[in-house]
Amino acid sequence: MASTALLRRVLALPPHLRRSVYSSATTYHGASQPDIYDVVCIGGGPVGLSFVSALRSHPSTSALRVALIDSQDLSTARTTKDTETFSNRCSSLTPASLRFLKQIGAWEHAKKERTQPYHAMDVWDGVSGSKIHFDSVDQQQTGLLDAVAEMIPGSRFQASRRKYEVEDVGVATMCENANTTSALLQRLHELDEERSKDRLIFDMLEKTRVESIDLGPESKDKESLDLSQWPIVTTSHGRIAARLLVGADGANSPVRQFADIPSPGWDYNQHGVVATLDLDQQSTAQNLRTAYQRFLPTGPVALLPLPGNKASLVWSTTPQHAAKLKTLSRPDFTAAVNAAFRLMPLAWRENATPAASTGLPRNFPRIASVQEGSIASFPLRMRHADTYTGHRIALIGDAAHTIHPLAGQGLNLGLADAEYLAQRIAYGVDHGMDVGSCWTLDGYNSDRWAKNNAVIGVVDKLSKIYGVGSGPVVWGRSAGVEVLERLGTLKGWMMGAAAGVK
Amino acid sequence: MRLLIASTTKPYTTATTPQPPESSVNHTEVSHFSALAASWWDPYGSSRLLHLMNPLRHDFLRRCLSASPPDPAQKLDILDIGCGGGIFAESAARLSMAQSVTAIDPTPECIAVAKRHQRSDPLLMEAGRLNYLQTSIEELHNHTTTANSAGARGDREMKQYDIITLFEVIEHIRRPYPFLSSILPHLKPGGWLIGSTIARHPVSWFTTKLMAEDVLGLVPRGTHEWSQYLIPGEIREWARREAELNTSEGLGWRTMGVVYVPGIGWREVRGSEEVGNYFFGVRKRGDGV
Ligand SMILES: Cc1cc2nc3c(=O)[nH]c(=O)nc-3n(C[C@H](O)[C@H](O)[C@H](O)COP(=O)(O)OP(=O)(O)OC[C@H]3O[C@@H](n4cnc5c(N)ncnc54)[C@H](O)[C@@H]3O)c2cc1C
Repeated sequence: MASTALLRRVLALPPHLRRSVYSSATTYHGASQPDIYDVVCIGGGPVGLSFVSALRSHPSTSALRVALIDSQDLSTARTTKDTETFSNRCSSLTPASLRFLKQIGAWEHAKKERTQPYHAMDVWDGVSGSKIHFDSVDQQQTGLLDAVAEMIPGSRFQASRRKYEVEDVGVATMCENANTTSALLQRLHELDEERSKDRLIFDMLEKTRVESIDLGPESKDKESLDLSQWPIVTTSHGRIAARLLVGADGANSPVRQFADIPSPGWDYNQHGVVATLDLDQQSTAQNLRTAYQRFLPTGPVALLPLPGNKASLVWSTTPQHAAKLKTLSRPDFTAAVNAAFRLMPLAWRENATPAASTGLPRNFPRIASVQEGSIASFPLRMRHADTYTGHRIALIGDAAHTIHPLAGQGLNLGLADAEYLAQRIAYGVDHGMDVGSCWTLDGYNSDRWAKNNAVIGVVDKLSKIYGVGSGPVVWGRSAGVEVLERLGTLKGWMMGAAAGVK
Repeated sequence: MRLLIASTTKPYTTATTPQPPESSVNHTEVSHFSALAASWWDPYGSSRLLHLMNPLRHDFLRRCLSASPPDPAQKLDILDIGCGGGIFAESAARLSMAQSVTAIDPTPECIAVAKRHQRSDPLLMEAGRLNYLQTSIEELHNHTTTANSAGARGDREMKQYDIITLFEVIEHIRRPYPFLSSILPHLKPGGWLIGSTIARHPVSWFTTKLMAEDVLGLVPRGTHEWSQYLIPGEIREWARREAELNTSEGLGWRTMGVVYVPGIGWREVRGSEEVGNYFFGVRKRGDGV
């Protein structure tokens, strides 16, 4: 009948969504009507929590009925009281990310004594010793991104060009993910208290596993409510229907799988080894701190400052080497990290190598020891979803993209997604839009996809240029690093990346 | 120049002409438009420009209301005339300031599409929030007085609305002034009549008749009757003749010219109301205003 064809057109979905929609629509057998929410966010990581906090803080969206689902017990994500131990999951937050966290009222709940701003970054090439020093003054240069866009063929960096926000915070601020997460949880709690009269509108469903996501039932007749194009989330606690289902559910995103959105990419054949380190240098809050990164043939190794004499290690290396490192005793691990920063890769004997010729920065600290139980590793991959949106679907954070950690951008891109999606939803609410429709979501997808793709492309190319141990690429890249040190413009680019171009 | 003044009149619309006792609806136009009903909610269909324009309708509405902002606790009753597939009606019904939206269109297929789409949103299915009626403005009182007789005060007169909207309608009306006047009894004292249309100007003839219909085929041929287009001054002249309307700039009368920029979308452009698409708003006196 004509009306069936009409219905299909009326509810037209992007082609890549259609398959899953029609296949699952027929398999659903629902008895009772699901509970209806405006926004259901799966994933209570830093990205999901900041997205929900942004919605709850904004006057236009604070009345939306929102549910946040996570399989974990989020209250255990709190940081320890002990100032002597730090989590190995730290991220460097850019000034743009900090501004967002302040704006939604979360940053004031973060434990500042556990965060560490840094003001400069030293990067050097482990094979040739060429080096490049970045500091926050470089950020103010203009045209940096253009320079890089020219440098790196195929990079779409120009698309994301924007003026930097120059703030007092330096390059970036190191913060444990748990510190960010617990600040966001406190903020959500505070918002709940403020609005206790309409408590019904926000539900935090912790320790709740998503069992399945399907489309709603076909309606029984031609008069009643038709949820056949609404995602229905079945959890251990029941079924809820989402006007907009947001996947903040990490790299293996169940939401992305439900929406059948491809997320192509590749594995770097590297693992990131993380650990919390003790340094031989003690700093105070007044000291200016520097982050260090050395490119080795096996991948970059980075030392990021934490308060006092602490630092966070991110060492990208071969899976075999990573596995070996994890089996080492703490003193041996410490020696291996010192070697990674100080030795020529092929020599591996410190006293045989004059420090200056390796490119080692002056004042580079010596690692004294590694915090017990802090060594962990994770595989590195590049993934970028073909689209961030579908009918009643949006992806944010690692669900939408995962990148190499060398520029410390993973979480920052995710926070920018959260901020922008929440803004689009506020605009949609103010203009009477269905916030699950393409009229609300298209703007989010087009804006964030292009910006993230530019960053992802540059980070991926850098990781490839620096992932090769010998031959013309090494020669080419060290020449490149030296030329750029003099030019100053590429420095600005990496600063821009590290400081978060909004 | 990439700046175009676009024709985005509805691909089909009400064709209400006030010629009682005969039905005011032009049946040729109704059937012409109903053939296109399927495309109302297709994001890439022929109604795309209307969807893209919809946020500006809200911006303009809010600007009109800012003359004396309603108490947030007081919810508004809205009447949308020529609602088509319900693009504006749905969006108005979602606003926190809306009490109810009554949306009317004489084309049965429009109302059928609008109702079908309404069913996919539980909010819009809440009782009384969004009511579609297949009717013309002249017949409306037959529907609403019965529907409303159970209302609080058992109104003897016809139901009145805080806001009446008329988007992309009057350019299709052969005798627009009597039509506009027939709307006024439905408006509450202090309420706003808000609409949008296209100004009669060589530029709009070029964009809406020649380019949109004949050359590009963006909208079906015959969608527009250029000679029926009104310029803002003519609508204001009509409003001045209506004693119950306040036509003082800003307080009772507003216009906003908008231009469609390909690749960017609709933008407000000052002065463009004389040559292309524009919004107008006029307010009924009363209630201390
Ligand atoms: C060891 C490590 C170090 C990193 N270092 C940095 C860095 O220095 N700088 C930086 O910017 N980025 C860094 N990253 C990347 C950064 O951590 C991620 O980009 C960030 O955590 C992404 O946050 P997210 O909220 O999108 O996803 P996640 O943090 O992965 O959160 C996903 C959430 O979804 C929940 N979830 C998943 N599936 C389900 C389900 N079926 N049901 C219910 N809940 C579900 C999970 O429980 C989890 O809480 C690092 C990543 C790792 C692994």
